[in-house]
Amino acid sequence: MASSSRTPVEDTIREKITAELKKRDATVSKLEIHNDSHLHAHHKAMEDSTSGETHFRVVLVSDAFESPEYAKKLARHRFINGLLKEDMKREGGIHALQLLTLTPKEEEERTRAKEAAA
Amino acid sequence: MSTIKDITTLDGWAQHLSSLPPSTLLIVSFNAPWAAPCAQMATVLSTLASEYPVTEPPSTSWVSIDAEELSDISESYNVTAVPFLVLIRNSQVLETVSGSSAVKVRSAIETHAKQSAKPDGEQPATSTNGSTATVDMADASLAPKDAEKQKEELFKRLSDLVKAAPVMLFMKGTPSEPKCGFSRQIVAILRENAVKYGFFNILADDEVRQGLKEYADWPTFPQLWIDGELVGGLDIVKEEMAGDADFFKPYSAKANGDVPATSS
Repeated sequence: MASSSRTPVEDTIREKITAELKKRDATVSKLEIHNDSHLHAHHKAMEDSTSGETHFRVVLVSDAFESPEYAKKLARHRFINGLLKEDMKREGGIHALQLLTLTPKEEEERTRAKEAAA
Repeated sequence: MSTIKDITTLDGWAQHLSSLPPSTLLIVSFNAPWAAPCAQMATVLSTLASEYPVTEPPSTSWVSIDAEELSDISESYNVTAVPFLVLIRNSQVLETVSGSSAVKVRSAIETHAKQSAKPDGEQPATSTNGSTATVDMADASLAPKDAEKQKEELFKRLSDLVKAAPVMLFMKGTPSEPKCGFSRQIVAILRENAVKYGFFNILADDEVRQGLKEYADWPTFPQLWIDGELVGGLDIVKEEMAGDADFFKPYSAKANGDVPATSS
């Protein structure tokens, strides 16, 4: 990987999540990382920010969440926050992180519900 | 919704006392502006006050007194530590609460607010901390503390603060002026479900802002706490609602048949 990326923070998020789930032998059926920073760039809190990588929305579907320790959403979010702890603590790092964490089954139900409502 | 009135002079105090009808429950908060626990008690009380509609004649009256500035008043009520709460009806002291337990304060106020004054007067005065009133300002000591003790105390205050109301929102800004899109959205969800909640503006208090991140093991705001436990942020609240439309029902004004006197 000779060239430097223009989205280092997004890359970090992707790398850390996939590496950890691989370690746990879990599937990653979906990992979407949306950069919403531009929606908040004009906010006062962001006025000194230049990275353009401050606000993210992550959708993660993995069977890792089928484990009973991840029954509560809070536990799942804490897990991801834990992986990204340094990036969130760091000055100029991740300022906001929206998470949607689902098991494959939950994702199926959601999709079905959406189609039914459409 | 009721608000807290600042009393700054002895005359003002005398006037206020004499203006109250005998049925009004007078809630007096003694504080010291330099003491952090008092700032938190102020939040707890203003949250509580907002749950009591302004009625005619007033059912409750809420005042705040600087214990050092108006030391004559403090002495007459034996205020030896701050924050200190005195509940008065018909010129009789009903109960006092010393210290920063939000739970004790809430329950004392709710108990007495429910009872209206008996026309034939005698209400027993109780003091929840009568035996432990000490000369030093128990909750606001001037002695230098080491960092660990300070943290311990901060965490104790936080553990009370998150229980200040059954549903407690720690947000950026206030419900009428949210300073962040996520905080605004969560307020909207609570409003849509007519949820009764207390709030704390973490932009106004950096100690709570940083302390709560550690206490909750949660790096961001808004944070919604229910019954003293962290539920999570906006996305979790949205997910919970998607999974269960009645998620907030037990805490909603509609469920309990109360119709808010004013819209929030």
